[in-house]
Amino acid sequence: MSNDIPVNAPDPKSILKASAIALVVAAIVTITVILPAEFGSDPLGTGEALGLTVLSKDANPFEEQLEVHRTDFVEFELGAFQSVEYKYLMDLEAAMVFSWVADGEVYYDMHAEPAGFDEEYAESFEQGNNTRQMGSFHAPFSGIHGWFWENRSLDTVTVRLYTSGFYVSSTVFRDGGTFDRQLDSIVD
Amino acid sequence: MNESQFNLSNLIKSGLGLFLIALPAIAFGHTIEGSDASFVEAIDGPAIFPFMYLGAKHMVTGYDHLLFLVGVIFFLYRPKHVIQYVTLFAIGHSITLLFGVIADLQVNAYFIDTIIGLSIVYKAFENIDGFKRVFGFEPNTKIAVLVFGLFHGLGLATKLQEFDLSDNGLVTNIISFNIGVEIGQILALSAVFILLSLWRTSISYLRHAFITNTALMAGGFLLAGYQISAYVLQPLY
Repeated sequence: MSNDIPVNAPDPKSILKASAIALVVAAIVTITVILPAEFGSDPLGTGEALGLTVLSKDANPFEEQLEVHRTDFVEFELGAFQSVEYKYLMDLEAAMVFSWVADGEVYYDMHAEPAGFDEEYAESFEQGNNTRQMGSFHAPFSGIHGWFWENRSLDTVTVRLYTSGFYVSSTVFRDGGTFDRQLDSIVD
Repeated sequence: MNESQFNLSNLIKSGLGLFLIALPAIAFGHTIEGSDASFVEAIDGPAIFPFMYLGAKHMVTGYDHLLFLVGVIFFLYRPKHVIQYVTLFAIGHSITLLFGVIADLQVNAYFIDTIIGLSIVYKAFENIDGFKRVFGFEPNTKIAVLVFGLFHGLGLATKLQEFDLSDNGLVTNIISFNIGVEIGQILALSAVFILLSLWRTSISYLRHAFITNTALMAGGFLLAGYQISAYVLQPLY
């Protein structure tokens, strides 16, 4: 490779020395830094000393929730081209699981509005046309989180929603009006 | 080259620079991740430009491939030679990338990435005349670049295979990915070549060549060490 310009060729001894140093440096870095930081193995205790072991700790599958646990079941009858919006008040990081089932196809839009902003700041997570959906939801911010359903057929469709989660209350938006629903905790 | 050129503080200086360059690769690993990954999983049918983009991104952000190319063009002064060697590298990795994905060839990713790390060591060792001076023979440099190109391509194929790729539009998508890889390589190489050319005008280039290649070797060993550790220690689930 060094054909273009003659280079003072290093002697074999320093080549071997350099290669050995390269290998040793790489081995030291691997053992003292990479193993504790990436793989949770700390053979020399250097990871603990440098505070690197925190990097390889896996996310805890357990996640504590601060709100009380509530469940909810609600049913909406949608006539031809009628729509409804149903949303839960949830804090940041609050979770819920849900299923909704309709006896005919509906348009749905799962979305949320951050607290303290206008309605135009809604963020949509999932839209489509379907007769059912199951899922889990993890609130990305504090605010109201839920669904918009619209019956785009001429038949009447009933949507049933089952949820369980760490929300505070819920609100129905229908026919230009809103009303809140009080939900009971499951533990008392 | 005498002993004084090989002093420790110079080694540490060049080594530190290279280490910092390689650090992001070590920190994040070099796979296709995040929203790119969910895109690749979801795609069904030909998607020429997204796959081209992913190929180029993989190359430009791929420290393992880039360090190898730094080694390859380190002593190439003429664009003609750069093009020759890089074409050989491209032919090598195109063959295994296309063949690997289409033939559904499954190779252990850690194994391939270890070889890629060691290819950097090999190239740097060759750059300091290690084969000629220590072992008394010179392996054909062009064949070596071609062979390592084959391994790098197998690495790319393995990364893509980790996804459940749809057969619909597969060949189009792989070729697009490969074209993207070449584009990314040209972009990255131009930057590396310009930087090396600038450095070459200064007298320090040859003086530091030995140390820089030693640091390159250390970087290669480090990438290999990382992959071996991952293979041994990564949980199986």
